[in-house]
Amino acid sequence: MVSDRAGEWKGNAMRYRFESQGQVYQVALERRGQVYQVEIHGRLHELEVLDAQPGVLSLRFEDRPLVLYWATDGERKWISLDGCTYRLGRPAPRRARAAGDGEHAQQILAPMPAQIRAVYVQQGDTVEKGRTLLLLEAMKMEMQIKAPQDGTISRLAVKNGQTVEKEQLLVEMGGAGDAG
Amino acid sequence: MFRKILIANRGEIAVRVLRACRELGIGSVALYSDADRRGLHVRIADEAVWIGEAPASQSYLNGERIIQAALDCGAEAIHPGYGFLAENAEFARAVAQAGLVFIGPPPEAIHAMGDKGRAREQMLRSGVPVVPGYQGADEDNLLVEKAVEIGFPLLVKAAAGGGGKGMRVVRRAEDVSDALAAARREARHAFGDPRLILERYIANAHHVEFQVLADGHGNVIHLFERECSVQRRHQKIIEETPSPLLDEQLRAEMGAAAVAAARAVGYQNAGTVEFIVDSHTRQFYFLEMNTRLQVEHPITELVAGVDLVHWQLRIASGERLTLAQAALNQRGHAIECRLYAEDAANQFLPAIGTLLRFIEPKGPGVRVDAGYSSGDAITIHYDPLVAKIIVWAEDRPKAIQRARSALRETVLLGVTHNGAFLQDVLASAAFRQGSMHTTWIEEYFAGWQEPQCELPPEVLAAAALTHFQQTANGVAVAPPAADGRDVYSPWRIANGFRPGR
Repeated sequence: MVSDRAGEWKGNAMRYRFESQGQVYQVALERRGQVYQVEIHGRLHELEVLDAQPGVLSLRFEDRPLVLYWATDGERKWISLDGCTYRLGRPAPRRARAAGDGEHAQQILAPMPAQIRAVYVQQGDTVEKGRTLLLLEAMKMEMQIKAPQDGTISRLAVKNGQTVEKEQLLVEMGGAGDAG
Repeated sequence: MFRKILIANRGEIAVRVLRACRELGIGSVALYSDADRRGLHVRIADEAVWIGEAPASQSYLNGERIIQAALDCGAEAIHPGYGFLAENAEFARAVAQAGLVFIGPPPEAIHAMGDKGRAREQMLRSGVPVVPGYQGADEDNLLVEKAVEIGFPLLVKAAAGGGGKGMRVVRRAEDVSDALAAARREARHAFGDPRLILERYIANAHHVEFQVLADGHGNVIHLFERECSVQRRHQKIIEETPSPLLDEQLRAEMGAAAVAAARAVGYQNAGTVEFIVDSHTRQFYFLEMNTRLQVEHPITELVAGVDLVHWQLRIASGERLTLAQAALNQRGHAIECRLYAEDAANQFLPAIGTLLRFIEPKGPGVRVDAGYSSGDAITIHYDPLVAKIIVWAEDRPKAIQRARSALRETVLLGVTHNGAFLQDVLASAAFRQGSMHTTWIEEYFAGWQEPQCELPPEVLAAAALTHFQQTANGVAVAPPAADGRDVYSPWRIANGFRPGR
């Protein structure tokens, strides 16, 4: 239960783990009267909260005053500081990856949120590398989805006219050898 | 002047026109699709009318329904904004036939300029220089032949085109057929018209356009240039005026050519004549005329001291242009940065999402034309332009400083956006020298990555603090839900925006 939470207590400090661009960061936060002591990867920093409004933190970090804006979308925490936008996620729980099926299947995911404008293949088709499988369109852009390898369309996960999210599964391809 | 008009658009341009209406005491009617029920333009209009489902083809492109809506609410005129039906001659004609005023040029002028092939021929007759190319009988075999004649690199363009759709650069003869097929398909989808033209591709070219205003009494003026060379996917992302490339002589020549182009088609209202300028030879060529208000019109407004939307409304209501060419001049320097919901690190692919928080920059010389506010959603249905951040300063270096500072101040959370990319472009040596050209972004910024590989400690500390204050200090910590999921986890609490929107 405790590990599913955002952080866990360790002594007087609250420990958190964040993920950003594939890196995992550990942060320990401890309140000491007016100030907080923060430990990040073994280094200690001192900070003071000057003001806290919904979505806005005004801090003194070391000796520097800062204003940070933040929000969460349920999955990630978005933070803006000095014109840079940062996205922090929750590190994926370490668990054994399911082995076996799907190892050779290549999943083709939507590179952007879009509408499927054309489907050029059917399930079971054998295609050569570079063959156009689908046509996507979003806003002012059209994009062809091509076969990344020779192989068989083992699963066609979308229909013409359908709307897809970014990274939604479009097509699964089996390698040239493992049809059926 | 009109008493009430309907604005057949959405997003920032609808907001821009609505504001002008308010200033001039004109009643305003906004339109909205299902996706825009609570859109910013709806919230600030005097009246708002539902026009259809979210896809543009069923709403903002439904001319018949839009005209009926205008008649039903007693509007006298329709402002088309840009995009959608703004350059559709049939729509402009239908508006007039319904007894309403189309706030834009006559349908004949839209028709003459709407087809790139026809426009080229018209310009050749009027003595306006055009890029060497081919327009005419449109058969693939013939086009391949003409392509080889013109030479490579070559540009294949949709005759009905715009905005980079149906456009392909071809560098080798063996690629012509594929490029023709792809451009045709895109052109058919986008414009319902698969015809193509060919143009020699001019490398290291600057894209420089001239703003024109023409009234219904024969007066035509230009309001100087806009430099629009900073483009990705053939679409502009940063525009400025004056152009660092032009001198007084070239400016005067191009301005005269722009006025001649507008006169050649009997133009009225606000329009833009686009030119390509070869930075080596300093030759300029007519590219096309945009027969509408441009996205980047505000930089002209700031430097020329003229409100273009006011003039659109005044000209459409029959007023005479009182601005004299000789009395106009360029004062200071203006830059526009287009803040797009897109992934600059991944081919500028469009992004969607809810703006959890959007805070516009402020201060002297900063203007923001936004189509969204915090809590609004960017959907796949429309252009992902969130806002235009426009600055004015005394000279170019100061304007660049101001633009960078304004972008640093901008907060946009909840959707991937190009804010950091715009800052890097403004900071680059080539931009500061003014030596950018139309493919510069592609070449110079290929492989660009957001500069945040290592998170600064203050951001990590703040992230921890936002959790800490909710779990340990502020918000009461509730026991875990029965299913074992921690419904009060800070990851699930969305602060800083109005829930349920």
